[in-house]
Amino acid sequence: MTFLSLTKRNCKMFFKDKGIFFTSLITPLILLVLYATFLANVYRDSFTSVMPEGIALEESLVNGLVGGQLLSSLLAVCTVTVAFCANMLMVADKVSGAANDFLVTPVKRSVLALSYYVATAISTLIICFVALGAGLIYLSSVGWYLSFGDVLALILDVFLLSMFGTALSSVINYFLTSQGQISAVGSIVSAGYGFICGAYMPISSFSEGLQKVISFLPGTYGTSLLRNHAIGGVFREMEAIGLPEIVIDSLRDSIDCNLYFFDHKVATPVMYLILAAALFVTLSAYILLHIFAKKKKG
Amino acid sequence: MNDSIRIEHLYKSFKGRKNHTVKAVDDLSFVVKKGELFAFLGVNGAGKSTTISILCGTLQKDSGSVIVEGDNIDKTRRYVEKLGVVFQNSVLDGALSVEDNLRYRAALYGIEGEAFKTRLAELSELLSFGDILDRTVSKLSGGQKRRIDIARALLHRPEILILDEPTTGLDPQTRKLLWDVVRDLRERDNLTVFLTTHYMEEAADADYVVILDSGRIAAKGTPLELKTQYARDAITLYHVNEAEIAALGLPYTPLRDGYRIEIAATADATALITKHPHLFVDYEIVKGKMDDVFLNVTGKTLKGDDSK
Repeated sequence: MTFLSLTKRNCKMFFKDKGIFFTSLITPLILLVLYATFLANVYRDSFTSVMPEGIALEESLVNGLVGGQLLSSLLAVCTVTVAFCANMLMVADKVSGAANDFLVTPVKRSVLALSYYVATAISTLIICFVALGAGLIYLSSVGWYLSFGDVLALILDVFLLSMFGTALSSVINYFLTSQGQISAVGSIVSAGYGFICGAYMPISSFSEGLQKVISFLPGTYGTSLLRNHAIGGVFREMEAIGLPEIVIDSLRDSIDCNLYFFDHKVATPVMYLILAAALFVTLSAYILLHIFAKKKKG
Repeated sequence: MNDSIRIEHLYKSFKGRKNHTVKAVDDLSFVVKKGELFAFLGVNGAGKSTTISILCGTLQKDSGSVIVEGDNIDKTRRYVEKLGVVFQNSVLDGALSVEDNLRYRAALYGIEGEAFKTRLAELSELLSFGDILDRTVSKLSGGQKRRIDIARALLHRPEILILDEPTTGLDPQTRKLLWDVVRDLRERDNLTVFLTTHYMEEAADADYVVILDSGRIAAKGTPLELKTQYARDAITLYHVNEAEIAALGLPYTPLRDGYRIEIAATADATALITKHPHLFVDYEIVKGKMDDVFLNVTGKTLKGDDSK
């Protein structure tokens, strides 16, 4: 009951701060509009330029592919950056003295840690699912090729990535002690994460060395999962209309639907396994940090 | 067991500027008896808040032992359930209502449902905040927040109430309410109160006082013992002439309607009355004040903003 009560308190604190909540909520929606306005044409041009001569695709199929790419990029970035935005209470409690005050109660440090985690995860999930919903509406308006299974898989991807993003932000924020530090970290993550997870630019366009380094980061596999499920229907349609397998596969390679770990193609179940393992490791590390935290030395 | 808190040879130092070591607490030893109002006096940086942080288990000590209600704080955390703490700066959640603040706090001690409602009703009556239960904490006045802080510390019926500068900046009405509540709880529940304050009149009402100076105990004792040892009494004589006072050969200060003579102890007053009864027709004898004790012990004065 202590855990539930603490989690409820943490959630209420987040949602009572309308500024943080609405900013976090509208950021993905603004990003979706910006992506659709400024990046859609770039994606469309790069896609049509790699199509072999003589192959013409329906406009809605191209739009479906471009839209899927936009949606997956947006979700890949949001699931982590929103988690960093939403995960402010732990640091705010340090600043206000509430964190010290919790230590003068019977509550266990692990329970306290989990309550912060779950509350942030709930906030992040709400915002990311709203972003997913908006993205699906966008896809339905430009070119819908998703099956029911694809949508369910996207929900699972968003869930796993949000949980991972929350765990990652929890580990990093654990070491922060002021609102200024948390804003700085949030800015760095917002600016950089999209590149290293392959959301802004396909990993296949990076140098070979960088590709190898990035292949060690679990977020990359999350992006690929989102790509596969947001664009999978388009590829199935391409197969159905008789587009050569080699063309489809090179398209998959070019937008990171196929990921390679030292030249070995990583299968979808393995991507899920990597993401789940990363979530388990970061979450465990976060809880252990709290459990083994010593009293302040000064 | 008659001791609520027993601290022996407590040391705590911090690294200051240029790696200079600052001794925040230097060989501190004292005992707080059960049911006692214990006052900790000292200027900013004397080591009061450091001692409280160690006592609450939020700061690591360098050495020494701290026993709270029989529990060694190095060996168990069981003792935290016996502590209620009112921090100098309120730690209430400003965005939440008064009731939510108290509800979530009570849940940490397993007080929920009907048990919480009953306790909330008791405390809201005791501290007169029943009419602001649904108000957002950030919109409350300083005095209202302080009452909720105290209610929060009392929710789980602690055996020791730690009050860190509880009345700083409070209006006289809330200050009186706070002390009335503390008095009631001490009488009814034998609550031990550990107080840090810079108000001398509050320290003067304590059962036992420890004066800290630069992390060390400068003096300790009951207010009477301290006043007897460190402050001079004064006799004010009315309707006498200056020549008669000067003839006593003691230092004196002329007042508008009389003369004040400083004496070392009350026994000296008795001797003067016996020797010069004709002078003592209209007079008063005043014991030394805690301000004098503090000044004589530390060479410093406590001001209103010496809040740590």
